[in-house]
Order: sequence, then structure tokens, then C-alpha cells
Amino acid sequence: MISALLYLQVTSTRNRLVTRIKRLRQPKYLFGGIVGMLYFYWYFFRPILSAPGRGRSVAFQVPGLSPDLMEGIVALVLLVVVLFSWIFPSQRTALTFTEAEIAFLFPAPVSRKGLIHFKLLRSQLAIFFTTLLLTFFSHRLGGFAWIHAAGWWMILSTLNLHFLGGSFARTALMDRGITPWGRRLRIVGLLSVFLVLTGAWIWRQLPTLEPGQLKDPEALKDYFLLAVDSGPLGVLLYPFRLLARPFLAADSSVFLASLGPALVILAVHYVWVVRSNVAFEEASVEASKKLADKVAAIRSGNWQAAQKNFKKKRDPFVLAPAGPQAVALLWKNLISAGQSFSPRLWIMLSILVLSVGVAVAPTLGRSGAGPVVVSIVGILFSWTFLLGPQILRQDFRQDLQLMDVLKTYPIRGWQVVLGELLTPALILTALQCLLLWFGASLLIFTGLKNIPGAAVIGVALGATFLSPVTNLLMLLIPNSAVLIFPGWFHSKDAVQGIEATGQRLIMMLGQALAFLLALIPGSLAFSAVFFGLKFAVGALWSAVPPAALAAALVLAGEAAMGVLLLGRVYEKFDLSDELRG
Amino acid sequence: MIQVDGLTKLYGEFVAVNELSLMVRPGEVMGLVGPNGAGKTSTLRCLAGIIPPTRGTIQICGHDLARAPIEAKQKLAFFTDEPRLFDYLTVWQHLVFTARVYGVQGFAPVAEQLLQELELADKRNALPSELSRGMKQKLVIACGLVHAPQVIFFDEPLTGLDPLGIRRMKDSILKRAREGSAVIISSHLLHLVEEICSHILILKNGRKIADGTMEEITRRFSGTGGTSDLEEIFFRATIEEQAGAAPSSPPVL
Repeated sequence: MISALLYLQVTSTRNRLVTRIKRLRQPKYLFGGIVGMLYFYWYFFRPILSAPGRGRSVAFQVPGLSPDLMEGIVALVLLVVVLFSWIFPSQRTALTFTEAEIAFLFPAPVSRKGLIHFKLLRSQLAIFFTTLLLTFFSHRLGGFAWIHAAGWWMILSTLNLHFLGGSFARTALMDRGITPWGRRLRIVGLLSVFLVLTGAWIWRQLPTLEPGQLKDPEALKDYFLLAVDSGPLGVLLYPFRLLARPFLAADSSVFLASLGPALVILAVHYVWVVRSNVAFEEASVEASKKLADKVAAIRSGNWQAAQKNFKKKRDPFVLAPAGPQAVALLWKNLISAGQSFSPRLWIMLSILVLSVGVAVAPTLGRSGAGPVVVSIVGILFSWTFLLGPQILRQDFRQDLQLMDVLKTYPIRGWQVVLGELLTPALILTALQCLLLWFGASLLIFTGLKNIPGAAVIGVALGATFLSPVTNLLMLLIPNSAVLIFPGWFHSKDAVQGIEATGQRLIMMLGQALAFLLALIPGSLAFSAVFFGLKFAVGALWSAVPPAALAAALVLAGEAAMGVLLLGRVYEKFDLSDELRG
Repeated sequence: MIQVDGLTKLYGEFVAVNELSLMVRPGEVMGLVGPNGAGKTSTLRCLAGIIPPTRGTIQICGHDLARAPIEAKQKLAFFTDEPRLFDYLTVWQHLVFTARVYGVQGFAPVAEQLLQELELADKRNALPSELSRGMKQKLVIACGLVHAPQVIFFDEPLTGLDPLGIRRMKDSILKRAREGSAVIISSHLLHLVEEICSHILILKNGRKIADGTMEEITRRFSGTGGTSDLEEIFFRATIEEQAGAAPSSPPVL
């Protein structure tokens, strides 16, 4: 029977690969593939091929960490990962199969052990790719690539088996009437007892740290090593150390010496999983349905739907039956974005943030932490521009899969486009204004002498004018791409692989270029008004808001034109090609 | 009223719909039947304004769908075989949204009545994920009817419905027709078509091979046996078209 399962796995993988190679005949995948390969070569393969220690034994080392300390830290991280896997999950055992696998394998004369083996076999493919990726990263820190790969494989395979065995054990506990919360309480209770015992042991057995040692990193490292090497924690971490050693081995002899114990741990896990006698079929059927829904959502380009368990959300505002239809799309997408985006909440949040800003500013000013906090706010503000349009996708990127429904609505194209853009633009603008005025209030009230209050207010006011139109323009670009190149977003093939990475890179570069070009007229308007006022009346900071307003008007004009043009594209958007895939 | 002249839809070189002309008057229910790949769904999608026709004109209540799409779409409703809903809107929110899209003043009593009629009243705060397939279908119908369309297209309307749901759906279609709507139903369920349609249009390979009232179609294809069974008529019509010869019995599988 295992040969049939092996055949299924091998042929599925081969066919998937062939399909991917065949689709390279389409330019969008070919260009994506080329760019993706260049990206992977540049960031992953090149460092390995051109590494100074290639062919020589350059030990793997994280700067500032000794091998002993590394081993202790890796063991501790593994322990935490394993503990989380026992504490957090609440569902029953679910070996995730595809719906086709369930339909073919569950009624077939395949033993439960056979199904588990099939699952383990299949997970090896994912482990292989994860191992490859992690090796690319870790190899940059030295050591032999093959040792890293073997070490990662050992760790990932053991963890995979542990998660599976753990899920069987959790199900067995549930079958005995122990609820997930009961299990969590017991584990946390045991953990607390263990921590108390460890604390008591450290208190009694280890020398007390002198106040001077607390500032000495070397002394702290030694103390950490003592704590994790011996006593109760040392015993608990021992198997995790054994598992980490092949990965951390400096050369092949050390690797071979550490391989035996790690393989024993792997074998014990395998026996544990295979001998577990827990019913997983029912939960697997349910899980496969969820998996299928998730895959369908991802394949239709709706990544967010794939991540979400939708919950009922309040109306963001009362939607009257009459009025511009774009508002209906705004209302719908705000619900999609979450009830946290109601106007009432934003008003309350603004008042709170500004009050806190004004209240804490003097304290921050005295402590000298003001510039640090302002810098953090500034970084967050920049991130909203860089990442905001990528994260907030309550627009065409979300609705592409329901485009046939949208097309039946009696709405003008520009209204659909505007309605689709409004939600992410509004949320981003609100967030940016909050950050902007929080930062501004901090700057003004911390009393920073080298920045005049007029400058802060001038720049903040200018940025407030520019924020909504800039967001609209930024969102216009990816949404235009959705309508002009829908195939890049909406594909019946799985959006995976090097070519998909390349496609995303091309899109990102294209968007950045388009955005920079779109900013040029606005920048010219800003410069004209700013320098005009400066030379005419000698204004400096007070010239910023009118200059920004002029730029905002130009950008708003651009955005309006963009919305109208994209509206026409939407009206001519031919779903025929998309429906045919 | 629906008036279609010379509707042609090409997918590249492939002809999905070929020079199709038809007319459905208020109160008429036309059954669109044909084998798989005949072009039924492409036809309905063109009629609903989802995809543009390659050639031909479509008039919905006197409005040209290509030149006045807003006015035309305002009058129609299209129900797909798979319920297409927004995952994050509740039943009631779907109705509120649809009412705004179609500008239905005072929609609340109409929506309430539809929820009652379709037995969704107790599900008004449920998300689509909490509804069965049949209930999702009912929600789609409620959304489609909230603006009282004068032209209705159904693509396989009975898919996934239980016997009671099927009965209610048939009644609902007939009720809309009696109220003056022009209805087109695409379905493989010939007994449904026979039961509720006043007119039949048989499509094959994108071409109309027969249309008319049930009586006209029956008269044309009944042959010497004098059968009035639509299933037999369907096989005769499609096989006759295929063979280009005298009607014969369908192959036995």
C-alpha cells in the first residue's frame, strides 16, 4: 500500500513541476521566473558560492555568542517552541489532507498507519524546501552548507513528528474529558512548579550575582551557561541540546559524533507517532474542507480571506438607501476592514493620543527620551506609506474574485473605483494623522530647543494636507494593476514558486516607479509655491502649509484623473478572459 | 422586456455564442436549454452585462446594455448557480448594501418581507459562512429582488436546493413572471423548464437550433410518435442538429 501512496506523492510532485515549467511559456510567468531566479541567486546562492570559507572549515558562529552559549540558546528556543505547541492549540488532531486525498484514501483499504506514513512522507517535501531556505540564511554565518542542511532537516523533522504526536496526545486528553483550558492549566501549573524548583536550585547552588556583574555581559553569559547546563533546567534542556548539536557542529567529525543521539530522538518520536491510537479521520475531513477553502481563496488572489475567520461586525455608519454608490462600497469595505475602523473610535483615539502626547511630553523632555520616541513615531509614519497599501487591501484586490457580481451593479465605473479606493485611503490617512499629530505634540511640548514650534506645526499641517491624496495615488497604482493586468493577480494556478516571487518583485518595482513619476507634478507645485513665498515675503516654515496645499491640489487632480481613467478601464474590463482562466 | 439581436461572443477563435436573437416579453418565462458547452452561461453573462458581447445588441426594457448600461442594469437581476456573497457582510448588511447600490428608497419593509418570504428572518445577523447552501441561494435571491427587477436571469436556479426549496423557487419564479417580469432560465433540468417556462430556446454549439412556445417546439419535434415530453424533444432537436438527418433516439449509456 505504501508504494501506491509513494506513487501518488511522486507523480503529484512531478506533475506540479511539469505544470509550472509549462506555464513558463506565458510571458508573465517567464519574466516572473527570470526575476525570481535572479533574486534568489543574488540573495541566497551568490553568498554561498562566493563565501570566503567555501570549501574550508569556517565554523558557524553568531557574532558575540560562544558555541556553548549558542547551544544553550538554541535548546531553549526549541523548548519554548515545543511548550507552545502543547499550550496553545485547541483543535483536535487533524492530519491535513486535500479533499481529493480524503475522497480517495479514506474509503480505500489503507490502514491508519498507512495514512500517517503518507502524511509524514508528504510533509518531507515542505521540510525539504524549508531546510533549503533556512540553510541559505544560516550558512551566511559560516560552517558547511551540508551540515546546516542536515542539522535543519533533523530539527524540522523531529519538530514535525513532535507536533503530530502532541496533537494525538491532546486529542486523547480531550477524549478523556480534559478540555483545552484544563490541559493548559495543568501544563502551566507544571511549568510553574518547575520554574520554582529551578529558581530555588539557582538560589541555593549558584553564586549570587554581584551588582557589578549585572553590567558585565561576559559575567551574565557565564551565569546563563551555568543555569542552563546544570540543575533542573540542564536536565530538561538536554534532549534539545542533543537535537541542536548536529546543526551547530563545526566539522564533519563533530557532526557524525552528534548524529547518533539526535537520530535516536527522531526515532523515538517516529515510534510515538506511529503507535498513537487516536481517531483523526473526522477532524481531518473538517480540516481538509477548511484547507480547500483557504486554497481556493488564495488561488483567487484573496490572501486575506484565506487568513480570516470572519466575524460579524457593526455597521461603520448608517448607510442611507440614496446617495453616491461609491459610499456603499466604502461602507462594505469598512465592514471588511473591521469594526475597529468606526468614526467614533477614531475620534476617541485621536483625543486620547493627543492628550497622552501633551501629558507625557514634558516628562519625556526631562528624561531625554523625547527624540527617541519621536523617531519611533517617525519610523511608524514612514512604514504606513511603505507597507500600508500592501497590508490594507480592502479594494479591488479583495473584490477581484467577486468582479462578476460587481459588474452586474448599475454603478458608473469611476464610482466603483473611488468606492474601492476609499477604505484603505481613509484608514491610512487616519492612522498617519494620528501619528503625525502625536509626534508633533511631543516635539512641541518636550521643549526641544533646536526645532521651533512653528516648524513643527508648519510641517505637520503640510503633511496632513498631503496625506489623503498621496494615499489615494499610492492605492490607485496597485488597483490599476489589478484591472490592467488581472492575470498577475487572479490566476487559477497556485500563486507559488520562484516565478510568483518574481511577479511580486516586478509589481513592487513598477508601483514604486509609477508612484515616483506621479509625485513629480506635485513636487514642482510645492517648490514653486514654497520658494515663491520664501523669496516674496521671506516666509520659511509658514510657507510649508500653502505649498503642501498646492501640491495636494495637483496630486488630487492627478488622483481624480486616475479615478476617471480607471473607471473607464473598469467599464471595459472584460471578464471573459478571466472567467476562462 | 429583453430583446437580443445577433448576439455573438468569441473567446479568441472559439465561438461561444453565434448570432443569437431572441425576445422575451413581460410575463414570459424562457427556458434556455442545451448540452454542456452550448453557450448558455456565456449568453446569460452577456445579457447580464458581466461580459461584453463581441457583436450584437442587447436591450433591457428598452435600454441598450452597451450604450446605457446603468439604466439597463437597474432593471435586471442575475442569479448564478453558485451563490456569490461577501464573506464579511451579514444577511441584513447584504440587503442594506444592495439597496444603496440600486438606490431603493424605503427598502426596509421590502427587505423584511423578502426575508420573511424566503424564511431568512431569523438569520438576518448571520454571516454567509453560517448559512447552508440553500440559505445562501435564498439570500442571493433576496438581494436580487430588493430593487424589484423587471428582467430576471437564472443560471441553474435549483442547484443545491432541497425539495421544499425547489418548490418555493419555482413558485417564486412564476410569481415574478405573473407580476410582469421577463424571465430567462438556463437549466439542464428539463422537467423544471417544461413545468414553468412558457417559451423554450434550444442552443447548441452557440447557435439557436430551435425556439418558440412549448406548443410550437412540441409540434416541430414531436415526429410521428406525437410525444410532448421535453426530454425527448431535446434529444431529437440536438441529435437532429448533430446528424443533420432524421431524428433518432439518444444513445443509451
